[in-house]
Amino acid sequence: MVKNIEKSHPADCFLHADPVSSVWCPGCGIGTVINTFIQTVEKLNIDLNEICVVSGIGCTGKVAEYLKFKSFQVNDGEVIKYAAKVKSENSDSKVVVFSNNADFLVSGAEDFIETGKNDVNILVIHINNIIYTITEYRAIPTTPFMRASIDKDFELPFNIPHLAKSCGARYVARWTPLHAGWLIYSIIDAFYKKGFSVIEVISPCLMYYASNDRMADAAGRIKFYDTNSVIKHDESTENLDIRINNKIIIGKFVDKK
Amino acid sequence: MKAEVHIINERCKGCNICIEICQASVLEISEEINSNGYHPPVVKNIEACINCGMCEMFCPDFAIWVTVTKEAEVNI
Repeated sequence: MVKNIEKSHPADCFLHADPVSSVWCPGCGIGTVINTFIQTVEKLNIDLNEICVVSGIGCTGKVAEYLKFKSFQVNDGEVIKYAAKVKSENSDSKVVVFSNNADFLVSGAEDFIETGKNDVNILVIHINNIIYTITEYRAIPTTPFMRASIDKDFELPFNIPHLAKSCGARYVARWTPLHAGWLIYSIIDAFYKKGFSVIEVISPCLMYYASNDRMADAAGRIKFYDTNSVIKHDESTENLDIRINNKIIIGKFVDKK
Repeated sequence: MKAEVHIINERCKGCNICIEICQASVLEISEEINSNGYHPPVVKNIEACINCGMCEMFCPDFAIWVTVTKEAEVNI
């Protein structure tokens, strides 16, 4: 039996990981997304000072605390607006936004549309966890269609790739944490786009879905992502609704010069 | 032996993604407990490892990585 004696990871130069481990639940998709982002930065050989990271509130908001780039954590609904401001100040650096459902769909949606129309050069990595983690069982803008909340109210869900495309985004893709290899090349593609680009990552919250016994352990989670997703590149973005009995369509949908 | 698997016990949160994602079944759950109360993985069968790097790519906590041993590097 081999003993585990290691103390530091090769990627530790990008992380504030020395005192504590990351703050998310065991197996959360946010960790995998950060891992793929760090691998992208390693692959492209980019200097630490050339990237700015902006994140908002909630679980995804902790990303800015965890990374060693120039990072900003801002208030509810001001993420995209702040990122555009950061971009206008640091025109040489690439601005990456890690956003949440609460960051631009409820308040601050007009900033998303305006930034897309102005074609500001930022990359939005939207981590869609289907619910509000803290105030759970409420219907939110991305709750799947015909899935009512505990108060029996439901609304038509936002289709984020369609919203991004109609705002004029140059690169739109959607993945799950199981497709980490695809996600790396997607982030590399979006890095070199000189315009507004959006990547949506669907990683359902573990605390909510663990009660359904589908995603309680790692094997169930991998099986869930595998059986409930289908890759269709260049699919029309109108068909990308998340519905309760349909498979989640993933892939690269828009790639303009 | 071609590859070496490195694991940081104290950083692991016991999500078992690395054990499930490994197609060669190199890893297993260990019996020891780290300071947060989780069971980190341990290498069971290093001969089967082909250095595909899947465990490193998927780990949410940056607790595992794979390298090629020096003897194998000389042979390449």
